[in-house]
Amino acid sequence: MAEQGHSGGIAEHLKYWSVSFDDANPFMQLHLDTLLLTVMVATGMVVFALWLRGRLVEGAPTGVQNFMEALIDFINQTVKDNFPVHNPLIAPLALTIFVFVFLCNTMDILPAYLMHHVAGLFGLESFRQVPTNDLNLPVAMAVCVFILVLYYEFKLKPVHFVKELLLQPFAALLLESKNPIVKVIGVLLIPLNLVLKVIEELAKPLSLSFRLFGNMFAGEVIFLLIASLLLASHLEGLLSIGGFVSEFVGLLVGLGWSLFHLFIGLLQAFIFMILSVVYLSIAHQPAEH
Amino acid sequence: MSIDLTFISQVIVFVAMVVLLWKLLYGPLNDLMEARSKKIAEGLAAAEAGLEAKAEAEAEVARQLEDARARAHDIIAAAERRAAEINEEAVTRARKEAEGILDAAREEVHAEVAKARQQLREEVASIALLAAERVLEVELDAAKHSQLIEGIVDKGLGSA
Repeated sequence: MAEQGHSGGIAEHLKYWSVSFDDANPFMQLHLDTLLLTVMVATGMVVFALWLRGRLVEGAPTGVQNFMEALIDFINQTVKDNFPVHNPLIAPLALTIFVFVFLCNTMDILPAYLMHHVAGLFGLESFRQVPTNDLNLPVAMAVCVFILVLYYEFKLKPVHFVKELLLQPFAALLLESKNPIVKVIGVLLIPLNLVLKVIEELAKPLSLSFRLFGNMFAGEVIFLLIASLLLASHLEGLLSIGGFVSEFVGLLVGLGWSLFHLFIGLLQAFIFMILSVVYLSIAHQPAEH
Repeated sequence: MSIDLTFISQVIVFVAMVVLLWKLLYGPLNDLMEARSKKIAEGLAAAEAGLEAKAEAEAEVARQLEDARARAHDIIAAAERRAAEINEEAVTRARKEAEGILDAAREEVHAEVAKARQQLREEVASIALLAAERVLEVELDAAKHSQLIEGIVDKGLGSA
């Protein structure tokens, strides 16, 4: 929460450690802090999986195995409750989303400015410590889920999906009419339907990713505000009564916000997971005729 | 806050993580849980089958006990009937034997009496002859002879 000696505005701490391959093209840059942290989290999860794999017991599970089995059971039950058919990919996907997003979110409770200053020791100007605060990560996950949704829509009910794209929400009713003029209007409305349907479909990954990004970004900004407004940036600030009280209040507020933000991180991980499962479940629902 | 190459890298990291965690974490744990669940379900089914078998065995035991009791009751009743029959037969036989013995004894008594009578008659006759011989040898006196004969007869009968 607090880190002594922070300087500069909040905006300065919201910059990424990035490398640009083409200054003229903003797409051609890579956020190394996000990449480094996600690779570290992913590696940690894989190492943990390998470690746990060597310790699995067939009998009554204990400790970490027990916790992981409870988590997998929860994920399996969530998927089972939402899915009309069994798809072996969904539960591992949901587990990965939940654990990965939660671990990334949890990094937000590290003291504000800490990673920034640690990175400064290595000569870096900026470093963002929460990968989910980088829109690229939520969007990447949401797009993966969206591609899977499209894949299953086309695989399981292609005709129905295309009909929905072209004939919903207006044209279907009009085309069912016996009046030829109404039918023509229905045909003319097909492009409008397509636009609306595309917007509807695109809203899914957008809302999924921006919800996570917005919550975590706001949380980080509040951490930075608490640190900037209430915590002393230099040792001299602690020597006065006001400085001491401000520091104490800052620590209390920061601790409270950390606990709340931990809960928010867990909640956002769950929301991201459950919405992904629901979107995929909708794609698996049998077509209504 | 823009989409850039990081997006591509995150897609790669995310997809790789899904595949790796599926193979290394979810798969083994889920297989283990399914195997355990199956084992528990089999155990429960076996326990339920055992309970059913126990109930069936208890019912069978109760039924067999009931049959055995009924059979034992029949056997006891038959034995009692047989005992009564044997007793009745023994009594009848004993009665018949007793009657036979009595009849035989009676016949024997009759025979002995007849024999004794015959013997007595013979003895009386012989005594009478003897008495007559004596009378003839000595002297005939009606009063005296008659007293003598009666005395001899009495004597003979008394000795018989």
